[in-house]
Amino acid sequence: MLTFVIRRILILIPMLILISFMIFGGLELTPGDAVSQMLSPEIAGTISAEELDALREKFGLNASFLERYWIWLSNVMQGNFGYSLASGVAITDVFFDRLPATLELATLALFFSSIFGIALGTMAALRRGSLADGSLTVAGMLGVSIPEFFFALVSLLIFALNLNWLPVGGRLLPGYESFWDRAPHLVMPVMVMSLMMTAGVMRYARSAMLDSMSKEFMRTARSKGLPEWRVNFLHGFRTALTPVIVLIGFRLPTLIGGTVIIEQVFQWPGVGNEFVQAVRGQDYPLVMMIALFSVSAMLVASLIIDVLTALIDPRVRLG
Amino acid sequence: MKLSFKALALASAMAVATPSAYAQEVIANPFSDVRVRQAIAYAIDMETIAETLYEGRVILADSMIPNGSFKADGLNDYAYDPEKARALLAEAGWDEDYVVDVMFYYGDQITLDLMTVMQAYLADVGVQMTYRKMEGDPAQLTAVADPDGDTSVVAWDLAYGAKAALVMQEYYSVYADGESAYTPGNATRNELLGRINGTANIEEQIAAFKDFEQFENVELSDIPLYYQQLYIFESDRLDRNGGLYGNDQFNYDWGILNWEVTPDADGNKVLYTNKGPIQVFFTPWLNPGLQIASKIVFDRLLTADGSLVPTGGQLAEAYTVSDDGLTITFDMRDGATWHDGAPVTAEDVVWSLQTAMIGAPINAVMANTLTSIEGAAAFKAGDADSVSGISVEGDIVTIQLATIDPSVLVTFTQFAILPKHLLENVDPLELQQDAFWQNPIGSGPFRVEEVQMNDFTRFVPYEGYWGGVASFDEIVAFPSEDVDPNVVKNAGAGRLDFGFTKSVSDVASLEAMDNMRVIGADIPYTRSLRVNAYPNRPVNN
Repeated sequence: MLTFVIRRILILIPMLILISFMIFGGLELTPGDAVSQMLSPEIAGTISAEELDALREKFGLNASFLERYWIWLSNVMQGNFGYSLASGVAITDVFFDRLPATLELATLALFFSSIFGIALGTMAALRRGSLADGSLTVAGMLGVSIPEFFFALVSLLIFALNLNWLPVGGRLLPGYESFWDRAPHLVMPVMVMSLMMTAGVMRYARSAMLDSMSKEFMRTARSKGLPEWRVNFLHGFRTALTPVIVLIGFRLPTLIGGTVIIEQVFQWPGVGNEFVQAVRGQDYPLVMMIALFSVSAMLVASLIIDVLTALIDPRVRLG
Repeated sequence: MKLSFKALALASAMAVATPSAYAQEVIANPFSDVRVRQAIAYAIDMETIAETLYEGRVILADSMIPNGSFKADGLNDYAYDPEKARALLAEAGWDEDYVVDVMFYYGDQITLDLMTVMQAYLADVGVQMTYRKMEGDPAQLTAVADPDGDTSVVAWDLAYGAKAALVMQEYYSVYADGESAYTPGNATRNELLGRINGTANIEEQIAAFKDFEQFENVELSDIPLYYQQLYIFESDRLDRNGGLYGNDQFNYDWGILNWEVTPDADGNKVLYTNKGPIQVFFTPWLNPGLQIASKIVFDRLLTADGSLVPTGGQLAEAYTVSDDGLTITFDMRDGATWHDGAPVTAEDVVWSLQTAMIGAPINAVMANTLTSIEGAAAFKAGDADSVSGISVEGDIVTIQLATIDPSVLVTFTQFAILPKHLLENVDPLELQQDAFWQNPIGSGPFRVEEVQMNDFTRFVPYEGYWGGVASFDEIVAFPSEDVDPNVVKNAGAGRLDFGFTKSVSDVASLEAMDNMRVIGADIPYTRSLRVNAYPNRPVNN
């Protein structure tokens, strides 16, 4: 086990370098650079070629691609993520200022979607073929098919603009002191994200539960005369939970990037919102920081899930 | 050896291609014929486009210069006349197989609709047209490199875009010989430009502008399409109390100290707006009115009216301009203080001017003024410790220009003075990176009270402001970029009391709200088709 973990951690390093190179290369292949995005064509047209060149020199954009990548990588190796090209603020300050907002949104959405998704999926499996199962299957299909932004805009229209029950967006307003002050701002984004994610978890939980219910050990448990609830929950549910937990575990790191649309619609000051602005402005130090963090989180989560799965399920062998 | 990624890619491609494939392909440009340019102007029915596509919210343009005192009389408006367009094209020997390449840089739906409509109008007179969005370096559109011989730098026929100006000179300075990527040099044009830029006398300037407009009305280096208005929106909680409406993208005396605000349910007089900081407060030198803080936290030496015409002193109590236009003096106001209580001094002015000369990017009009100051070049080159053309005697700052700058007073209505005592130890090249810009201190009528970066910023009236104290409690600014996609949503929810937009679709939605009103302000902002008039142009690859 220890050898497996050490080997996986060592593999992470070249993987991260390779992925960072690919992201850096992707940014390089997009048209323009941070300076061309920073200045509108109207302003750029009034600045001389020498001034544009001086700006590019200041931001280190005149160096070659490989040179720039090497400078960025060696700085990162020393813990220096650089400064935002758009604002001059330290990348780590920008990122860690935005991270709590995203984590708050993502963890709440993950929590609610996991609870509801598992409960509804299990219920649908236990009542397979019933009206409730059919309705939940349709709802699940709708949930995964309807785009997130549509749900978000409709809820904004209804709950914020028409009924005036909830704030239109943002996270903080002057005078807020506690979590409960800003809780109303969380309701809609969390609700929309949870709804979309619940559908996926529900469908996964239903399949896993049905799969587990068809296993031999369930029949053995019943033949022992155990009550039905005990058979379903202590034997079926526990077994079905493992793949669902793997799904949920994988979702946690993706939520950092997965909140982009919700953050945009609800003006949520999180990492997703910042990422969109950074990509649009070709602010490569910031894009790289956010992308690298998301990728690292995903790789680490994958490692943890592998280890946990091996610990939970003795049939799984690592190595 | 260091090789760039692009160089490697190119090298790989060249290994399998014939050398001839890399010679720049150049074609004869039919738009070098003035009759073709005029035909295009006649072929597009801008009146109908303005009424339908733009819902009547734009003003038809017959010149790049907006309507007003600078506008020449009797200009040809090129009213829709397809017959005339066809005749001109036939006269010019138009090749019906030629496909006009139009580039644009706005990504909105109206622009795409305009391209489609133009395509239909041109097809009606026998001109094929294709269009594409500009991606990447804006220099493709507005490159200011000196083109080589008879071939243009840019590889398009027409480019749809805007020209926004702080001063009228900005409209035509791009046509100067050797400055334009799409307008070839012309002796008459140069002479007219020389007349515009060679005097500080406003009457002489206006006369020269009018001659220039008459010349361009025939030449059509740009085909003017329409003047865009700036739409100022306000909630019914705000009464400007006689304050001006004007070009809100810049600084002018909008009378904010006298604004009346209806109290909310708790009795607080709070105004909500956008254009708050996202990561940082920007220095107010490149975009002097982009963020709300640039307008209310920092004072300028002079103030202006809604059209940005200088009207009087702000941090300077009085100013003078010599008869030859080369010497300007500012008498600094007694009693003006920074928000930390320190006095605003003539030294702050000198430090700000000198720092801007070597520091962060600066607005083109301001940059031109700073470059015109005597000794600026030596200072920038590091050959002098200070600028010889800037001197201080008591409260008087004297600026000596080496060459006439017709925009010098406009510059000082927009150029913010920054506090030397808080910034003097900062490297001018890293001014924007300083922690000062997370919570700046200025000398304007409002000071920063609370910053929750990317959530909101609170500004409260500065009690020590020389001009008095605003009659309402505070301004809360929510973060947004220049173009705020959340205007309608936030206004509908009561989170916007004032601001501005250039989006026609925002205006219709705002006007439909009971609590909002929209005021159209004329601004120098002209949408046009730039015409590549060089005899030859490169082929776009």
